[in-house]
Amino acid sequence: MSDMSDSLPINKSQLPRADVDLLSIVRINEEIKMVVAVSFKINIMALNAIFLAKRAGTAALGFGVLSNELRVFSQDLRTCMESLTGLIHGCVNEVSIVLQDIRFSRLLREAAEMSPHYPCQAVMKKRESENYAHARVLASLRMQLKRALEDAFQMVELGGVLAKSAKIEAAYGQSFAPSLAQVSGEFDGIVEEIRGSLESLRRSSFFTGH
Amino acid sequence: MKTTRTFFQEGDHKWVAIVRDPNKPNYIIDTNEYLVTHGGQGILVDPGGAEIFPAVFSALSTEYDPSALSAVFASHQDPDICSSLALWLEFNPKMHCYVSWLWGSFIPHFGGNEETFVSIPDEGVDIPLAGLMLQAVPAHYLHSSGNFHLYDKVAKVLFSGDVGAALLPPDMDGLYVENFDAHIRHAEGFHRRWMGSNEAKRRWCERVSKLEIDMLCPQHGAIYKGDDVHRFINWFDELQVGIV
Repeated sequence: MSDMSDSLPINKSQLPRADVDLLSIVRINEEIKMVVAVSFKINIMALNAIFLAKRAGTAALGFGVLSNELRVFSQDLRTCMESLTGLIHGCVNEVSIVLQDIRFSRLLREAAEMSPHYPCQAVMKKRESENYAHARVLASLRMQLKRALEDAFQMVELGGVLAKSAKIEAAYGQSFAPSLAQVSGEFDGIVEEIRGSLESLRRSSFFTGH
Repeated sequence: MKTTRTFFQEGDHKWVAIVRDPNKPNYIIDTNEYLVTHGGQGILVDPGGAEIFPAVFSALSTEYDPSALSAVFASHQDPDICSSLALWLEFNPKMHCYVSWLWGSFIPHFGGNEETFVSIPDEGVDIPLAGLMLQAVPAHYLHSSGNFHLYDKVAKVLFSGDVGAALLPPDMDGLYVENFDAHIRHAEGFHRRWMGSNEAKRRWCERVSKLEIDMLCPQHGAIYKGDDVHRFINWFDELQVGIV
């Protein structure tokens, strides 16, 4: 019966991984929820910055352009985070299915090992192919999530450049310079916070495997 | 591994108890599963929890081809009754599961699809097995609100689910009740706590008293046979239940 127990390589290799995956994906989800909340805050901040630039008039023309760009950035970031959230929900679902596969496969393997008189090969093969199909779906979602995170990271790099440019433009704001500097500094701080979160997500064991 | 004990046989009509796994972890309650075969068909009665599936499967497969099971009968919805359903379905996806209509949309959480489940109405139903008619006998509120026992009038066997169950010490591991008075002490607390309605108990006692029963087979503990069957029914009739 050892050939039957050997016929589920996916489960054997996945056993420690699926538990870790579920934990990782839950943590990723929490981090993304935080980023989504922050990106909403950026949107409001960008709106305030636009009003401030309008009040400053010609003294803050450059700042006005940048604050418009920051508003577009915050909306894009939000859309990006929504897509990440969708992918994460898909991953949670698939990891849960894989965990169930692992349990069922363990019980079927034990049944086969305890029943050398009974041919279980066909059922084990069918189970193996279902396990494989689920593992492939999860692998695909994992890749999509990784790509989406990379895209988000690139977007945040651009946001960082915009925030730093806004800080420079704030210096030309004459009497509005202190207010503009404060707003652009807050932008920069928040963008850095998001960048930090995304960097830690990139290092998650869900992607690195350890 | 569990063992199989055939306690009724007439031609190819058999009742087989699947019992007592010495390797079962202590934190999982011990359960009895029953296989009824007739005319080449088989029905598994209260197939058990997922974690004991390997032991039940292994024992059953020494007696009968698991992929040929035409149905399982679930007395009620508890996990020790039928959380293994999805695993049995791996061997025969067309297998049916007879269960109270009340649990028809709950038990699919353990597995199966729309075609799997055959709802039993409150008044019970006849379940065919290659020409043999088994009867799903109402036992509602004993303990589950949608609960059935299974009666075979040819074999004179009543599968009684949790009614008659006893949580026996390790040294009382016989298939049959040997000493009713000693045995029933291990059943009393269980029945007082788990059986929720004196009225439902009364009705059940009246109902089954009219049946010819040689063996009363609970899901936990030992089988009552002969005079112990009516001794049990009388004892249960007198017992005040639904008490903590």
